[in-house]
Amino acid sequence: MSNSPHEKTGLQPDLVQLRAALRKVEAPAIDEAALRSRFREVQRQRAQSAVTERAGGSWRLPLAAAAAVVLAVGGALAVVVLRGERAAPTLIAAEAPVTAPPAVSAFQPLLRSPGLSSSSYSVVRVRIPLSAFAVVPGTEQDGSIEADLLVGEDGLARAIRFNEADALLLSVADQ
Amino acid sequence: MDETDPGSNDRLDVRLLAEIAAGVEEAFVELYRRRHNDVYRFAFGMARSRSFAQDVTQEVFLNVLENASRFDSAKGSVRAWLFGCARYVTLDRLRLERRWTDDMPAESTTFDSDERLIADQRIERLHAAIARLPVEYREALVLFELQELTYAETAAVLDCPVGTVRSRLHRGRVLLAAMLEESEQARAEAGAKIEPLQAREVCS
Repeated sequence: MSNSPHEKTGLQPDLVQLRAALRKVEAPAIDEAALRSRFREVQRQRAQSAVTERAGGSWRLPLAAAAAVVLAVGGALAVVVLRGERAAPTLIAAEAPVTAPPAVSAFQPLLRSPGLSSSSYSVVRVRIPLSAFAVVPGTEQDGSIEADLLVGEDGLARAIRFNEADALLLSVADQ
Repeated sequence: MDETDPGSNDRLDVRLLAEIAAGVEEAFVELYRRRHNDVYRFAFGMARSRSFAQDVTQEVFLNVLENASRFDSAKGSVRAWLFGCARYVTLDRLRLERRWTDDMPAESTTFDSDERLIADQRIERLHAAIARLPVEYREALVLFELQELTYAETAAVLDCPVGTVRSRLHRGRVLLAAMLEESEQARAEAGAKIEPLQAREVCS
């Protein structure tokens, strides 16, 4: 900065003066009672969470096992229900293995979206009524489909993916 | 302990932080007394708002309560660690308030008249210009020029190499000087326009 004309016109002395002025700036007086009260509150919370953690250790394993059983049963039921609903339209769906993961499509860019230029996005999960996909008027389907929207920092949706893509394909095929 | 020796100050801060982590209430109050003005001045230097600085100070010391045990003296002093916390809180709040480079709200454009701390208008304009700098230059200038941290300490707080700090300081100063010159010109032009009008009003 030494070669800057602005430096010669007094930026550095002004910075020194500002520094000196800021040194005189004092924070408002301490509310010591509130400070101590806050400290005790945090200590209490910490102690409580420590007790909870210690107590939690003894039943954590059985709880995890129970959760796994519930998830397995729930998953099996869901597969049975979905297979029952989807068996008729296509043979491929009926032959799908029981352990197949849910059909998730890749993100598809939306028409006229600004493109993927930013480095930061949010994924927003939404449910879209199947009637929104009706190709022919009067052939609307009941129900809805889960989808993820890729939303940019500006709030505009850039791309979409369907988490139950097979359901959407079946509904379109029905039409 | 010699309070004027930076080394002994650092050691006392480290001890207080260790005691806070162990749950000693007096240590927390003592560290707050010793360091809250540093945090307050940093936030005030960044945003030029007393209420903003007060909120940041409170939040930083709440973080201290919860994260005292995470301090690592090998990475720098407690003061620099506090500035690091203050920086995160400040940036979060600036982001929320969309004040990265916008003009300051009315509350912060002038100092309280009854406790005017920076009387000189040039200094006020300089501080206002700093508060309008892009945040990466602003935080480097505030830490290095106004809080008097060394290059190494500033680099530690900003989590970047010393060379980056130097280049940010250089660009920040250049930008600052340009902003001040621009505002001087604008003032001079405004003054030239207003003066004849005032003269006519007096005559009529």
